[in-house]
Amino acid sequence: MVVVVLHMMPPIRHLLQRCWQRLERGLLPAVCGVQSPLWGLAPAVQAPACLPEPAAGTAESGEGPGFLGGVLWMAAPKKRRSIEVNRCRRRNPSKLIPVKRNIDVCPECGNLKLKHVLCGYCYAKVKEGGAFNAPTVESVVLYDGEKPTEKDEGKRIIERARKRPSWFIRN
Amino acid sequence: MELSLCESGWFAAGSAFPLSCIHTSTSLQKLGKWEKKNRIVYPPQLPGEPRRPAEIYHCRREIKYSKDKMWYLAKLIKGMSIDQALAQLEFNDKKGAKIIKEVLLEAQEMAVRNHNVEFKSNLHIAESLAGKGHYTKRIRLHGKGMFGIMKIVKCHYFVKLVEGPPPLPEPRKTGFDQAKEYVQQLRSRTLVHTL
Repeated sequence: MVVVVLHMMPPIRHLLQRCWQRLERGLLPAVCGVQSPLWGLAPAVQAPACLPEPAAGTAESGEGPGFLGGVLWMAAPKKRRSIEVNRCRRRNPSKLIPVKRNIDVCPECGNLKLKHVLCGYCYAKVKEGGAFNAPTVESVVLYDGEKPTEKDEGKRIIERARKRPSWFIRN
Repeated sequence: MELSLCESGWFAAGSAFPLSCIHTSTSLQKLGKWEKKNRIVYPPQLPGEPRRPAEIYHCRREIKYSKDKMWYLAKLIKGMSIDQALAQLEFNDKKGAKIIKEVLLEAQEMAVRNHNVEFKSNLHIAESLAGKGHYTKRIRLHGKGMFGIMKIVKCHYFVKLVEGPPPLPEPRKTGFDQAKEYVQQLRSRTLVHTL
């Protein structure tokens, strides 16, 4: 995407003003060559596109945590990545889609399903209703030798032919 | 729109028909190279030749999806049997998976109907590619009055089905094999440019 500046951003304008002041004072600004015909404050001194390093200019080079450091020292790519490098990254096996090995056939309808997931077709059938409409009543489980009491009047009774497990207490 | 005039009105002999048979044939856009591959007709095979497996070429053009993302799906199903490919695509969450599944089902149906394939499961995917479609550029507005130019990307998807079971994957080269080759290379060194 190409971003075009339609109007000046305040920090860049301040930067330019300071650069120009330093130029006039004879000191080297930390950045040179920051010129663009779009900005109205383009300096008249265009010829030295990159001013030579002065002998005592090293004091200015590490501009410290000023606004200049915040605005201009940003990470940027040094070189264009070649298509070979790009391909190595994009086609690395970690980025390829892994082949799923947990696909089975639903024994009811024969459609495909994942092993740990309900069959989509059967689920849709049940959701839509029809023969699968179960009445919305409570159910009660009765084991060997148990009879339904008057509390279990309107409930659905499930009979199991085994003795009651110890953890399933009858209320 | 192709127009072909039959020049009946221009015969020098006595027939005085005006330009009557103007034959207008509308071809559905310009046929791409992949679509034309289905049209090749081989001469009949000789009795002793091994049976040439049926090849079916199918594609879908201008899919609203990125070619880079589509490539991953195309790479997934390369070399699989058609049933396995359909199973993998059914449980993949990408948008392109649904589209490729439709394309494969269409191709399978074409194979059985037009290309004399006996069993619809006896097909495997010989080639599967994704190509770049037409891009349209639009303006995307950012803050502070800035704008960027965004591309609305489209892609094509091509698939070639071949009758028969999928070919076995090549066995991977073991370290032992590589070492054997290296020793062989060392042993076959001779003196060059000498008597």
